[in-house]
Amino acid sequence: MSLKHEISFRLNGKPATLSVAAHNSTLELLREKLRLTGTKHGCGEGECGACTILVDGISVNACLMFAVDCDGREVTTIEGLRAEKGLSELQKAFVEEGAVQCGFCTPGMIAQATHLRNTCPGMNREEIRRGIEGNLCRCTGYKKIVDAISSSLEKRDS
Amino acid sequence: MTGLIGKRVPKLDAPKKTTGETRYLQDIELPGMLHGKILRSDRVHARIVRIDTDEAKALPGVHAVITAKDTPGVPLGHGKDNTPLKGDKVRCIRDEIAAVAAESEEIAEEALRLIRVEYEDLPAIFSPADALKEGAPVIHGKHPDNIPFRFDYAHGDVDAGKEESDIVIEDTFTLHFVTHCCMGVSGVIADFDSSGNLTLHSLTQIPFLFKKDISPVIGVPPGKIRVIQPVIGGGFGSKLDIYPFEPICVFLARAAKRPVRIVFTREEEFVASPTRQPVELTLASGVKKDGTLTFRDVRTLHDNGGYTSWGATTPFVIMQTISSLYRVPHCRYHTTVVYTNNPYSGSFRGYGNLQATFAVESHMDRLAEAVGMDPLAFRLHNAQEPGETTLQGMNFDTCGLRECLETASAKSGFLEKRRAYRSKQAGPVRRGIGIASLLHVGGGAKIYRTDGCGTILKLDDFGHATVMTGSTDIGQGSETVIAQFVAEELGIPISAINVVNNDSEITPWDVGVHASRTTFIAGNSALRAAKKAKDKLLAAAAKKADLSADGLDLRDGHVVDAATGKPIVELGKLIRSLHFTQRSDIVMTTEYYEPPSVMQDREFKGNVSASYAFGTQVVELEVDTETGIVRILKVTAAHDVGRVINQLGIEGQVEGGVVMGIGYATTEHLVVEEGVVKNPSFRDYKLVTAPETPEIDSTFIETIDPEGPAGAKGIGEAPAICISAAIVNAIHNATGVRFTELPLTPERVLRRLKEERE
Amino acid sequence: MERKIERYCVPGTVEEAVEAIAGKDATLFAGGTDLMVQTRSGKRPFTPLLVNISRIAGLGGISTDGDRVRLGALATISGIRTSALLKEKAGVLTEAADSFAGDQVRNKATVGGNICNASPAGDMIVPLLLLDAEVELASTAGRRMLPLCNFFTGPGKTRRERNELLTAIYFPIPPVGFAAGFRKFGTRPAMDISIVSVGVAATRDDAGWKNVRAAFGAVAPTPIRGTRTEAAIEKGGTAGEIARIAESEVSPISDVRASAWYRKELIRTLTERLHHDVFET
Repeated sequence: MSLKHEISFRLNGKPATLSVAAHNSTLELLREKLRLTGTKHGCGEGECGACTILVDGISVNACLMFAVDCDGREVTTIEGLRAEKGLSELQKAFVEEGAVQCGFCTPGMIAQATHLRNTCPGMNREEIRRGIEGNLCRCTGYKKIVDAISSSLEKRDS
Repeated sequence: MTGLIGKRVPKLDAPKKTTGETRYLQDIELPGMLHGKILRSDRVHARIVRIDTDEAKALPGVHAVITAKDTPGVPLGHGKDNTPLKGDKVRCIRDEIAAVAAESEEIAEEALRLIRVEYEDLPAIFSPADALKEGAPVIHGKHPDNIPFRFDYAHGDVDAGKEESDIVIEDTFTLHFVTHCCMGVSGVIADFDSSGNLTLHSLTQIPFLFKKDISPVIGVPPGKIRVIQPVIGGGFGSKLDIYPFEPICVFLARAAKRPVRIVFTREEEFVASPTRQPVELTLASGVKKDGTLTFRDVRTLHDNGGYTSWGATTPFVIMQTISSLYRVPHCRYHTTVVYTNNPYSGSFRGYGNLQATFAVESHMDRLAEAVGMDPLAFRLHNAQEPGETTLQGMNFDTCGLRECLETASAKSGFLEKRRAYRSKQAGPVRRGIGIASLLHVGGGAKIYRTDGCGTILKLDDFGHATVMTGSTDIGQGSETVIAQFVAEELGIPISAINVVNNDSEITPWDVGVHASRTTFIAGNSALRAAKKAKDKLLAAAAKKADLSADGLDLRDGHVVDAATGKPIVELGKLIRSLHFTQRSDIVMTTEYYEPPSVMQDREFKGNVSASYAFGTQVVELEVDTETGIVRILKVTAAHDVGRVINQLGIEGQVEGGVVMGIGYATTEHLVVEEGVVKNPSFRDYKLVTAPETPEIDSTFIETIDPEGPAGAKGIGEAPAICISAAIVNAIHNATGVRFTELPLTPERVLRRLKEERE
Repeated sequence: MERKIERYCVPGTVEEAVEAIAGKDATLFAGGTDLMVQTRSGKRPFTPLLVNISRIAGLGGISTDGDRVRLGALATISGIRTSALLKEKAGVLTEAADSFAGDQVRNKATVGGNICNASPAGDMIVPLLLLDAEVELASTAGRRMLPLCNFFTGPGKTRRERNELLTAIYFPIPPVGFAAGFRKFGTRPAMDISIVSVGVAATRDDAGWKNVRAAFGAVAPTPIRGTRTEAAIEKGGTAGEIARIAESEVSPISDVRASAWYRKELIRTLTERLHHDVFET
């Protein structure tokens, strides 16, 4: 089997040290090794955004990132995006605006929307639609997802 | 009353889905579970000479390797012309040859690479027309003519209809392969216990039929099979049949004596999950000078692919639109379904109706033009009215088609814009507006002897209700709608309701989640179970308080005086007082709701659904006549939904269906060349993404169906059905060019526009 | 897929990196967004040495360096998309970055990676050709510069030697009067492999347009300059004439995304439109 390499990084705010195969993706590390299954495997090619996570605060496709490259970085998955108590404002908006149907794209959408909220808080609907162009959803037609992200922009998590 | 009906009720399962807590099949790992992988054919039509699995079996970490000779080979699928593993020959690219269970997916993949298969290629067929030629290769020995099915339907006298017609037009419409693209791929977990009981964690949309159908294939009595449905990452009809991977997983679990999970790769999902039925449909239509439709005459050729799944039976739905969307006195419909060596089709949201409506609604525009009427007036002239029974035997107890047409036109400014866009436009980018309508079942579809759904309703000692329903939630929100009905009836908050809908050991029978039936059928079932519970509670309260039950009601968790709203007894207290006594009783009711529909007769006639849904969509778009790109700007939809139960959910169904329909019309195409899928990835199979989505304006026409739960009709499939016709009608408005083939990729559009110009 | 990685290293400096890859068959990655897809599909097997160049100090950044602009090889597409410097000096790169994949890929993918991946449809290459970009390659023997227009030899193939690391891209700061435009064609704004892409650029002086550049993507084994198109623009031909010349000098293939015929049609139309937008307004 392939070479293993030890990495240390922060995962959802906590330090982690473990050894990973050099060819593995971060998605494989999260789902298979760490059993953090909230991040979804939708295509494995960076085309659907279901595996979106935040690395050093920036959204990336976990399926396209080498797990060894997590070393020294701050990795945040959907499991780390809840508020102190219950749902974050963004998550509440997804619920209240009807942005969730089958839900398989939702963790990736939330992760990407978190990135958008952090980097361009003044987005209009058009910019939100561009912002989630890398996330596929087969159920909703996207409108309610845009509604949710848009309505969440006025709210800050306490 | 809690006033939940028609409100924007957030889905009960949504909070967990936003946090990543929800466990999909991919996330479930049983102790000792192995990973299954399937070796598929890379030939489209070939005899299997030899399969050598020795090396794969010897690979460390491999627990089982199976081929057809290790399995009973009992036929499966809707046409029973398929087997789980193929031993003699392969008939299409996805065919299953061997399977492996190993300790990791990587080892299983490695083992597949070690299996050697020797084939002897056979002449192959890639088009339905070729399959019908004299001396064509035979794909299934049982059908030497390559024709597994024919469907014939007629009413009136088409020849007489032709005589009556002032104008007759004919076109051939060509519809392509598309596929569901559920974000969660296909998969299953098979888990035997030492007593031979089998638990299947299955994404099936038909848990009860699934048990019955898979039983003979795997040799396990249905009573020993438990189907647990994990949360499903999208269904859209893709999980209505049994597909080979499911029994294969069972065989692997049996051979390995360990639980086995099969989860497809995305590429596998494109190659080896069902498609929408590709159809070539020739439609002749006639009309009188006054705009009255005279006849429709349809011949279709269906590419069945290598095996028969539900796609073969889409004519059931196609003929409904041909016969009964508008009043047509004379109608004839003939389908030939033929085997080829292409991929095979299953059921997919709309089930043949996207194809039928594309043809019929294209012709409605052409006929209107031929008689000099505007498309709206022409449709209104031929639209059915409430109370009519169509010549195919469908009873339109309610029918909002006229109101849908008028509303969508008025809200979109259809007639004015259409006139404006017809006049010469400057520049290469032209605007157009188009209209189309639809008819679809809205109260189930009686294709089995029963189209029913069971409910068990249980109230606990604290006034909380558990609803055990046979129906399945595939993300569309049926769990929430069912909870709304029960909460409303029992006067308790929706948070006091738990819906159990995913375990065949607990839930009562249901046909499955298909035919837009769940709100209507499962909703009625839950509502009736709740009414029974309410009756029991009110009777008990009346007896205790020495009042008449007629004067009581359930509100805000209490039995109240119906007239004054004055609380009489708290619900939990009442239930406890029933339970904790010498002659104790619990509050639990059951209901099996059977809709008042009938199976069609041998001529395909009869009132197959308890209700019918109608809708009209107007599309405004832009065509770049120099690049061929079509941009959808706005969709104005009006749907007869009977009654809105959950405003948030129903908007979501329309918006999602509209965008799925736009994908069908414009960008989605599973490219199959000589039987091989050429674009098995999201890179080249192009779903619509957020930036291309148009503005969507939805209006709901409430016709209050007398049979529907609180007046509702089914709506799940309807929104995807007519948009492709509205799009080609709009392109015609913009450019004067009429398209009869999908998808409207920029290249196809440009090619046609140039041909027309030259 | 063969997975025979024997060594993984994370150099901190260019010197360490070139030392590590000298004489080796190394696989380099920065963002990894192309490499991961290619290794997974089996199109590109791993080699024994896997080198993560994403931590090399000084290899990122977008800055001016005298009369040139320097794009560090590790500059991300998002970095380019949002760079105020580039927006001001070379907006054509901003446009190209804005039509590059989705946000998550833009956040990770690097300009050096996009160039070294050498896709005929590589979105950043066409605008860099317009800007007369050069690439800087480092090895244990030192550094050398190579014009980008001579860098590509075929799909996925470049003149980068196995022991070289692409460290930066340089291009002259466009002078006053410089104008450029880029169009990528797909049904989506960015989440598309280009069916074709076209870019044109030139500098206006009193006499007319000088230093004309035209470049095309996805119509040849590599992104290409259109020298006949450039000459025609310089001579002041009409947009229609220029567009027909552009069409005649590309030789695209047919594939699952588009036919050769359609690609030629698009080259003509997009060139004509770009000519209008860039040179006539």
